[in-house]
Amino acid sequence: MQIVKFPVKVKLKKFSDLIFFSQLDLIHLLARALRRTNLPIYFTQGFHPRVKISFLSGLKLGVEGQMDVVFYFREKIQPQDMVRELSPQLPKGLEIVEILS
Amino acid sequence: MINLTNFQRPQRYVGNEWNVIKKPHQGKIKICLAYPDLYEIGMSNLGLRIIYGLLNEYPDIVCERSFLPGSDLIIHLSQSQDKLFSLESKTPLSEFEVIGVNIGHELNYTNFLKILDLGGIPIYANQRADNIVVVSSVSNPEPLADFVDVFYIGEFEENSKIFVDILKNCKSKPERLRALAGQEGFYVPSMYNFYRKANTYFFEKKYPDVSLPIKRAYVRDLDTSYVPTKWLTPHTEITHDRVPIELARGCPRRCTFCQARDVYFPYRQRKVETVKRLVRQIYETSGYEEFSFLALSASDYSHIEALLDEMYPFFLKHQIGLSLPSLRVDDLITVLHKKLLKLKKSSLTLAVEAARDPLRNRLNKEIDIKKLFEAAKVIKHLGTRRIKIYFMFGLPGEEEEDLLAMRDFVNKLRSESGLMVGVSINIFIPKPFSIWSDQKMETESNLNRKRQSILNNFSRVRNIKLSVASVKNILLEAIISRADRKFSEVIYKAYSKGAIMDGYSEHFNWQIWEEAMADSDIDYNDYLNNTSDNYPWSFIESAKVINSCK
Ligand code: SF4
Repeated sequence: MQIVKFPVKVKLKKFSDLIFFSQLDLIHLLARALRRTNLPIYFTQGFHPRVKISFLSGLKLGVEGQMDVVFYFREKIQPQDMVRELSPQLPKGLEIVEILS
Repeated sequence: MINLTNFQRPQRYVGNEWNVIKKPHQGKIKICLAYPDLYEIGMSNLGLRIIYGLLNEYPDIVCERSFLPGSDLIIHLSQSQDKLFSLESKTPLSEFEVIGVNIGHELNYTNFLKILDLGGIPIYANQRADNIVVVSSVSNPEPLADFVDVFYIGEFEENSKIFVDILKNCKSKPERLRALAGQEGFYVPSMYNFYRKANTYFFEKKYPDVSLPIKRAYVRDLDTSYVPTKWLTPHTEITHDRVPIELARGCPRRCTFCQARDVYFPYRQRKVETVKRLVRQIYETSGYEEFSFLALSASDYSHIEALLDEMYPFFLKHQIGLSLPSLRVDDLITVLHKKLLKLKKSSLTLAVEAARDPLRNRLNKEIDIKKLFEAAKVIKHLGTRRIKIYFMFGLPGEEEEDLLAMRDFVNKLRSESGLMVGVSINIFIPKPFSIWSDQKMETESNLNRKRQSILNNFSRVRNIKLSVASVKNILLEAIISRADRKFSEVIYKAYSKGAIMDGYSEHFNWQIWEEAMADSDIDYNDYLNNTSDNYPWSFIESAKVINSCK
């Protein structure tokens, strides 16, 4: 059964202590942050399901900046609701600065 | 402050994990838990997490963490004025009143000295004015006695209040040590005279009110004992990147080579309800995607089926992976495989230890081999891609056939399961507190010969991943684990000559240790051949191996 996924695209700002963390670290960190919310997370299908997150742009280790990230959900949700639920779960140094779609 | 961007894996030193505890220092007793290995390893240690959470529950205590840094930061710290610091507040170790070190492994001893050194703390206990160095998680404390103010023997949870109260009520170091020396689980080496005459070790108290023998402390009630439910969640990968939930402590079996069954005596189980609650709470606070159910022997846990049944919907809903590291395969076939089948990830390790029945029986290792091979057929349906199997050699009473039989065993397992098999072959050490602590260690030349014959025998087996313990490495582990107080000198000398991270093959240097032993006039065979009438660790009460059998 193919489950439809609903993307939400945001601009994330990386600064302060989080500049030391790699893209791979961020994927894990964001997946765990999402799991701490009650949002209807979309999981990849297959033997080892993961929280699906896509980075449309990246940042080098050690620098501050912004990147575009897509989160996916099983149901249609309001991007504002997602931001409200997810933001308190983000560590200092990571902030959603803009909803892109 | 040190610029972290100049070092490899700076994530290790940031101290910004989710649920990290940062308290103001003002007016509080400062404790730093310093782990003698890298961050990734230390953060995988359950004991460290329990003690960190538990001590921070006390309003008068601030407890922070530090780990052995990577080699680049070690070099920087040794060549500059900077000292090793705690992650939370970046405070130098020397400014903490108490340094707590969960040693974990004999080959961490030089790392322990390195941490003290880098933190600006004198290595020898009698040269320290104020800092109290408390060491836990060692089975035979004696080789470290010169470096340690207080050993904690056993499980800490139920005695934390006594410890904190003594720190609060006694202000000076001598008062604190004196008060601790009479409490269950606390061993203060400076309060005793220990010496060897001819073939006997003598243990004498210097003061009437200190404990002797030392009683090992243990948690009476595992259901109510402290678990840090606000789970400290790193933002970077660690070695065992999952949440371990203890199902039980101790083990109801009595394998003759096993140290853990005595050290974690008696066998205690958690209720299914408790395990369920812990999993939920920790998932909610951490979002961890993988859990493992921990026990020395998970399938001895009486409620394993009920637990898996009840947890299954939760794990499925949140797509959480589960590993059961100490599963017995013979149980797999009967009941468990149907349940495991439903879970997404499950890793499988089989501690078979000996490939033939007679030797395995001598080890008291009860495994139904017929069932094991039946189980091998169902394993591939479990979503497991690899099986890991453990053997040992150098065992008392071992024959050449036992070594050769390992290959046939693995071949059969491979063909029945159709899976990749990881084979890990270790060397027997007569460990303190094991039933076989009185056995002799196999000689070095025999071990080398046997190792070669195992390697030759496996040379043409494909589709396996073989790792065989290296003889010198194990020899050092055996010596240190059985040594006495005189050995402190050797550890110090080896450390001064550059020994560090002895558990990592790329750092291990036998020659340094050999020289250090020669310099100190120590014949290590003395320890390995069990030449004394009692042991250097005989002042610690064993769990009475015999009385405890079922
Ligand atoms: S080796 Fe044997 S006694 Fe030791 S923990 Fe495992 S099953 Fe228990």
